[in-house]
Amino acid sequence: MSVVDRFSESWRKYRKPGYYEDFDYAWTMTIDLDRCNGCEACVTACQAENNLPIVGEEDIARGRQMQWIRIERYWDGEYPNARLSFIPMLCQHCDAAPCETVCPVSATYHNQDGLNVQVYNRCIGTRSCAVYCPYEVRYFNYSNHHWPAPLDQQLNPDVSVREKGVMEKCTFCIQRIRQAKDHAKDDGRRRVRDGEVQPACVQTCPTEALVFGDRNDPDSQVSRSLNDPRAYRVLDELNTRPSVVYLKKVVTDGG
Amino acid sequence: MPDIDRRDFLKLVGAGSVGVAAGFVLAESIKHPVEYLIPFPVPPEDYSPGIATWYNTVCRMCAAGCGISVRTREGRAKKIEGNPAHPVNQGRLCALGQAGLQVLYNPDRLTTPLLRDGDRTGPFTQITWEEGLSAVADRLASVDGGRIYLLSEGVRGHLAGLFELFMAGLGSNRLLHYDFDYPHTLYAANKRFYGENNLPYYDLRNARYLLSFGADYLGSWISPVHHGLGFGHSRQGGEVRGYFVQIEPRMSLSGAAADEWIAASPGTEGLLALGLAHHIVAEGLYEGDDRDDWMSALAAYSTARVAEQTDVPTNTIARLAKAFARNQPSLAIGGGAAGNHSGGVDTLVAVNALNYLVGNLGKSGGLLFNPDPVVGRPTRSRRASFQTMLELAEDARRGNIEVLIVNQTNPVFTLPAATGFKEALAGIPLIVSLSSFMDETTALADLILPSHTYLESWGDDIPEPGVGFRTASVSQPVVSPLYDTRATGDIVLGLAQKLGLTDSMPWTSMKEYVEQGWRQIHARGADTETRDFQAFWRAILQAGVWGEKLRRDNGAFALDKSVIDNIGAQQPEFSGSNDDFPFVLHPYLSNTFLDGRGANLPWMQELPDPMTSVVYGSWVELNPATARQLGLAQGDLVRVESPHGSVSAPVYLYPGIRPDVIAMPIGQGHAEYGRYARNRGSNPIEILAPRAESHTGALAWSATRVKLAATGKKAALVQTGGTSRQLGRGIVQTTDATAGSGHNARLNSIPIKVVST
Amino acid sequence: MAAEHNELTYADVNRDVVRSLVETGPKYYVTLGVAVGVFLTCFFFPWFYQLFYGIGAAGMNQPTVWGTYLASFIFWIGLSHSGTLLSCVLHITNSAWRKAMYRSAEAMTLFSLMVAATMVMVHLGRPWFIHWSLPYPNQMELWPNFRSPLLFDVMAISTYLAGSSIFIYMGSIPDFAAVRDRTSGWRHHMYVLLSLGWRGTDTEWHRLGRAYTFLAVLIIPLAVSVHSIVSWDFALSIVPALHQTIFAPYFVVGAIYSGTAGIVTVMFMLRKYMNFERYITELHFDNLGKLLLLLSLIWTYINVLEIFTGWYSGTSTELEALRYKLFGFYAPLYWEMILFCAVAPLLLISRRFRTSFVPMLFLSFAINIGMYTERFLIVATSLSRKYLPDTWGLYVPSLVEISILIGSVAMFVTLFLVFVKIFPSVSIYEVKETMDVPRKGTPQWQTTR
Repeated sequence: MSVVDRFSESWRKYRKPGYYEDFDYAWTMTIDLDRCNGCEACVTACQAENNLPIVGEEDIARGRQMQWIRIERYWDGEYPNARLSFIPMLCQHCDAAPCETVCPVSATYHNQDGLNVQVYNRCIGTRSCAVYCPYEVRYFNYSNHHWPAPLDQQLNPDVSVREKGVMEKCTFCIQRIRQAKDHAKDDGRRRVRDGEVQPACVQTCPTEALVFGDRNDPDSQVSRSLNDPRAYRVLDELNTRPSVVYLKKVVTDGG
Repeated sequence: MPDIDRRDFLKLVGAGSVGVAAGFVLAESIKHPVEYLIPFPVPPEDYSPGIATWYNTVCRMCAAGCGISVRTREGRAKKIEGNPAHPVNQGRLCALGQAGLQVLYNPDRLTTPLLRDGDRTGPFTQITWEEGLSAVADRLASVDGGRIYLLSEGVRGHLAGLFELFMAGLGSNRLLHYDFDYPHTLYAANKRFYGENNLPYYDLRNARYLLSFGADYLGSWISPVHHGLGFGHSRQGGEVRGYFVQIEPRMSLSGAAADEWIAASPGTEGLLALGLAHHIVAEGLYEGDDRDDWMSALAAYSTARVAEQTDVPTNTIARLAKAFARNQPSLAIGGGAAGNHSGGVDTLVAVNALNYLVGNLGKSGGLLFNPDPVVGRPTRSRRASFQTMLELAEDARRGNIEVLIVNQTNPVFTLPAATGFKEALAGIPLIVSLSSFMDETTALADLILPSHTYLESWGDDIPEPGVGFRTASVSQPVVSPLYDTRATGDIVLGLAQKLGLTDSMPWTSMKEYVEQGWRQIHARGADTETRDFQAFWRAILQAGVWGEKLRRDNGAFALDKSVIDNIGAQQPEFSGSNDDFPFVLHPYLSNTFLDGRGANLPWMQELPDPMTSVVYGSWVELNPATARQLGLAQGDLVRVESPHGSVSAPVYLYPGIRPDVIAMPIGQGHAEYGRYARNRGSNPIEILAPRAESHTGALAWSATRVKLAATGKKAALVQTGGTSRQLGRGIVQTTDATAGSGHNARLNSIPIKVVST
Repeated sequence: MAAEHNELTYADVNRDVVRSLVETGPKYYVTLGVAVGVFLTCFFFPWFYQLFYGIGAAGMNQPTVWGTYLASFIFWIGLSHSGTLLSCVLHITNSAWRKAMYRSAEAMTLFSLMVAATMVMVHLGRPWFIHWSLPYPNQMELWPNFRSPLLFDVMAISTYLAGSSIFIYMGSIPDFAAVRDRTSGWRHHMYVLLSLGWRGTDTEWHRLGRAYTFLAVLIIPLAVSVHSIVSWDFALSIVPALHQTIFAPYFVVGAIYSGTAGIVTVMFMLRKYMNFERYITELHFDNLGKLLLLLSLIWTYINVLEIFTGWYSGTSTELEALRYKLFGFYAPLYWEMILFCAVAPLLLISRRFRTSFVPMLFLSFAINIGMYTERFLIVATSLSRKYLPDTWGLYVPSLVEISILIGSVAMFVTLFLVFVKIFPSVSIYEVKETMDVPRKGTPQWQTTR
């Protein structure tokens, strides 16, 4: 192949809109709001898996909680017709992520798997990504966090501990994806099987409200979920094209 | 050198530069563009996942008995996940269960045996295990067996058996298992109605219609993770979407998840159940032979009368009754505040009657009876109710107790102050605590022999109520002990050795005892011939669980007429008059702390309460209308006064609560229990009236009336959430379409592509 | 113009300006000492603490991740706007009244930019890696993100800083030479270096004039673009109430507005404390007052426009952002801003007000306080009311932030105080251009005009 051909081919491949459709994976999560009961098992699972710090009462009072996945709660109506709905909110891994364009040092960008990744080493702490993110799922390290001994022994060695001044957020448990890919390679498979990799939150969800997988694979569980007529995206009007898709909560009148 | 003049030279240089630049540009532009932009710090390239070792064991954070897989690296536990093979949780796990790591690695653990210097205000000094065990053994040997008490948390399996052997060896019958949240009334109601000693298995998974009377089955009732699995499947896993109705004065986690929340007047859940039963029978939705018996038993519970008593409209009662009878299979469950009321057992019997009337017994999607467990668990008489604890306190006051051994239970925290339990302990000469933490009860001990956490110990467990077939799980250490502590079983065996009880307890370690006990299970198995015990044992340790997938034959269920005749429900009785104490206090088990045991775990302290998003504290839930009447706003510090004391907490305006009820979460308000729990929030149990449920002697913890007094102060109400209204932004979208699979035209019309990069 | 300068001679100008450079009283040293002291205690020590502790030392939190540091940054950039921009505009329009004030106005630009750059350092979570935002070639082929408005900022500001520095320096060369010839000792040596061997030949004057005008023309679009780009930090986001096309002109107008008010303040100080009464006159205040009035009206117009944009949007997000701005937690600040920046400047309609020095000083203060508030509100109100109501929160600056804000003012004052002793703060040669040519026979001993 001549240099010119190679050049034109890679130009076509990488400069065309939606180029990463051609990548191997497009990791996606669906969250069934009709199943979610707000138990917050996912929150603790994430904290355990990803070395999230205990920020302390004082810092939470100042609005500095750290939960890569959090449960938002919304009331509708008043007593006696009050209804409470929960919605787990985590990094939506937008395909048109506002945070990615604003970072002056490209510390956050889209990787080949369609993940919105955060490079802690590169982050200089402008916090502009958090301003640009409409989902408010980026969490900043306002100070260094400490784990009083022996709590430090629970830290997951596969995930780095972030220092002060660095932005962090949900990675879709990229370390698990990596591990699954390694396993696939060891087994001589080209692709990770559906269900082989699950982020910590999906793994633990007692109601199986969270489904994770590759939407490039039409047979995956998540692809089937995406075809549910209840599927919608939060703040769809902003056109951020999230990789997290919610399934509407069902509200019926009477049995 | 050939002649190159200035012009040629410049031409050559120029051409050369252009060539080099063009080559450079070309070479750059055919590179992989992503690598071109950021080649070095690209995740996941800098991750190198290591090889983890997983151990299967049993979660001991609550009584559900979920199986867990603990991920360890280099001998350290890193994460707890559900054991996929375990029938209770099927790989899933709740927040509290995952926080078990912080029990193991808690910085406030007791690390060595401690002996109190002087009286119970004095400090502790470190002693060796030999000294500690000898001190206890000497004392036990010298006193009459009947004056020795062993008060444990609810333990099951071989440890419970070991306790029995030990106390029998000492000649004492004073062995008690005490848990604040043990469902005494549920057991009693099932015993009375079905004649069953075990709880039945509630098959939420296949239920199409669920009526829950006060049971927060997704938050704290019996086995939340298993119920969660069932709930999820019932909602969207099957052909028909399950419909869930929650009847309780304050919307719980399950109330929020339900399709319908009905705020019946507190304590009238039994009346409502009988009202529904009356409607079912009266409308001919029940056609059994004993229909006339039912008709006469339920005559007093006409829809109109029940509607008036329960504050639920008649048409709602009629609608619920019809739907419950018609949407088969359906299921009615009861518990929580409804079960812990003045007439708790009656209420739960009434709920059972509903299941009987629509034919939910013994069928999928209803209620399945459990077989007897394969490994023993303490009998109900060993389960200390509130009444038993009062008797214990009385014995202590009278000087009838010489030695009290407390194992991991914290009655000083979970009994109302009005019982005087804490003061009564002063009458006991020797209190030995086997706790891993300095909780309120341990702080009153004379001698502390700290036990391992469950992640360092051998043991086994039988889930209660079980999943409809026989199952048992083995608990094994996942890390080597962090401190100079010992497993509870080993402490008991050590004492037994010193006391010369080796005849009845010949084992040198808990592991040996458990392994020996499991030989019986091995002997049951069909593969006894093909597999020797060691192979069986290894397989069990790997799987973490054993099961015998044989459902009990539920057969036809015949109800005795006397049971029907005895059915009835009364108006609830409260401590405190309506005039002086206008509100009913509704304490509820926080789904992060349960009865307070989770309060020393930083993850749990930092986990926002699902309903309010409050962290690190207590609060008083008030209906916004009530608050307006009282002139209270969010965050105002109020004093909650009952006839038996008062606690203070900030107000939280909660739309999902009856205006005549105020609710407080249980779990905070510890005076001890480590840095994360100490002096944080307040404990509503403190101010509860010492009223027992009439049939079981269980604490009627939802039968206290209170009044509110504003303090004029603001208190820090630390919340992670902001405004909990959607303001029409369509964040949580809803649909009235029920389950079904179709093509989502709208979503697919949006190409999942990026327009430009 | 001529009326007041008639009494001045070229000699007076030389004398007065040189005096302002060499005669330093105890008052100056006390002021400088105080400024440096405040700068160190209020800026550096809190900043060191913040570097040690992390950004958590400031009051920023989850919804409002930007706070006063960024507000200060915009404020200082804004303040920088009038100086060089105004000077350039007035230079190419040949406005004679510019000449007495432009040097200090340009200095203001320079120092505001320096303070603004420092605020960026303070704002960053990891300022020790600030160089990563610069496109320098490196072995790992790591480049900054050229799509980022923050990177546009870095480019625009560094260009503006470079342009302004060259502009002020170039305009000062003849004055350095003038001062060089009238000083001795270390000052003489310094000015020898600074004046780059200026001799005052016709060729030199010709070239200076050409270059100066050329630069002036170049800087005008640059200055306009700088603040437009700063506004894009906000306008390119999709935050309700920030995602607006009006933002670029809004920021530019606001910047010139606050900068002009800043010039009034500086003029007053120079006039009063450096004894430049004869150079900086009522005329300057009158003209600046008219300019301020015009700017305040445009600024008010854009503010009203903003309200209408939000109102007409009809979306929950925009309406809530608007409601929150007008009546929410920060509303007192909003109305304070309206009072200071839209209502109070209407006094400028009166000529008597414009030519009264002390009231003008107070008004200029009020405008800059109002404009600081505006920047604070842009950050605080919008970020605390974004899309998901569950994440809404409040932001209140911490003591560290307030201290650093005070310290940054002290930093500016310090720089300015040093400046007035090195640079002739009134342009010697340009002032002379406005004066009558000396009559024959008058001793003419200066080599430069």
